[in-house]
Amino acid sequence: MRKHGKHLDFEINLIPCIDLLSVCICFLLLTAVWLHVGSMNVKQAVGGQSQAETPKKPLLWVYMGQDGQLSFNVQQSSLVPAALVNLKLPGIEGHANFSELNRILTQLTTKDPDLKTALIQPQAQSSYEEIIALMDEFKKLGLTDLGIAPL
Amino acid sequence: MLANQGVLHETALQSMIESQSLINPKHGKWKRNIVADLLLTALIDAFSILVIFLLMSFSSTGDMLYISKGQELPKASLADILERNPVVKLEEGKIFLESKEVTQNSLVGALLDMRKQFIESHPGEEAPNILMVQGDRRLKYEQLNQIILAASHAGYSDIRFAVMMK
Repeated sequence: MRKHGKHLDFEINLIPCIDLLSVCICFLLLTAVWLHVGSMNVKQAVGGQSQAETPKKPLLWVYMGQDGQLSFNVQQSSLVPAALVNLKLPGIEGHANFSELNRILTQLTTKDPDLKTALIQPQAQSSYEEIIALMDEFKKLGLTDLGIAPL
Repeated sequence: MLANQGVLHETALQSMIESQSLINPKHGKWKRNIVADLLLTALIDAFSILVIFLLMSFSSTGDMLYISKGQELPKASLADILERNPVVKLEEGKIFLESKEVTQNSLVGALLDMRKQFIESHPGEEAPNILMVQGDRRLKYEQLNQIILAASHAGYSDIRFAVMMK
């Protein structure tokens, strides 16, 4: 009886795979976006609706002062104790003290969990970078409705 | 001496030219098979890793903002996804609305015109009240303030600051 000379083991043709992967790599390299740009969404803190139309929600006003100083004023909240309604946070080396800011915001949001709105009032000389960093910090601590007031 | 006894010496493939040379006394010795197949599996592995990495960094939103060479956007870790909205760019003290230069005084008018154009081209639809602001991280707020005021006057209540994701 004659034996079959055909091999039973076979090899996958890898050349089309390489072609396909090469095309994929070329396409992805050409369309790759290396800089990830996002957006920090804020609302106009002043204007828009009239005061009667605006629902009374607890809100936090943040005034940016000289040398990174921040002043806080909590409004329309009955849960935040009087001692925490008005606070001042001195800056460090001309920048905001973010570690202390974190502590204050945690304290405020623990007292009033409905505190979700923060309105920022920068100064003419406030740096754009610092304003964004402040907004980012607020977002991290659950203050998601952000607003910015014009000068 | 050491090189002759080394593993490399024993395993290295003889070149075709070397074995066929007339000068070389080794001519004609076809002792070893010349099997120089490329290791395609390793190549495919590397390609697959590259494809996965590139797919991970692939962005379907595309490049919506043109960031010029000297401009650095501020960084934020909790930024939202970029959406297509009218862009006001502050660059070297100049204001650009959708790449068209406008002055501080004409910005409100230009924004209102844009709104009017949208209403004319999309009848029955409400004009969007979102404006994208693109500026260098070193800007002072007094420069941004003019855009925020103009946006407020033109009815753009939502402002989106373009930021670089951390």
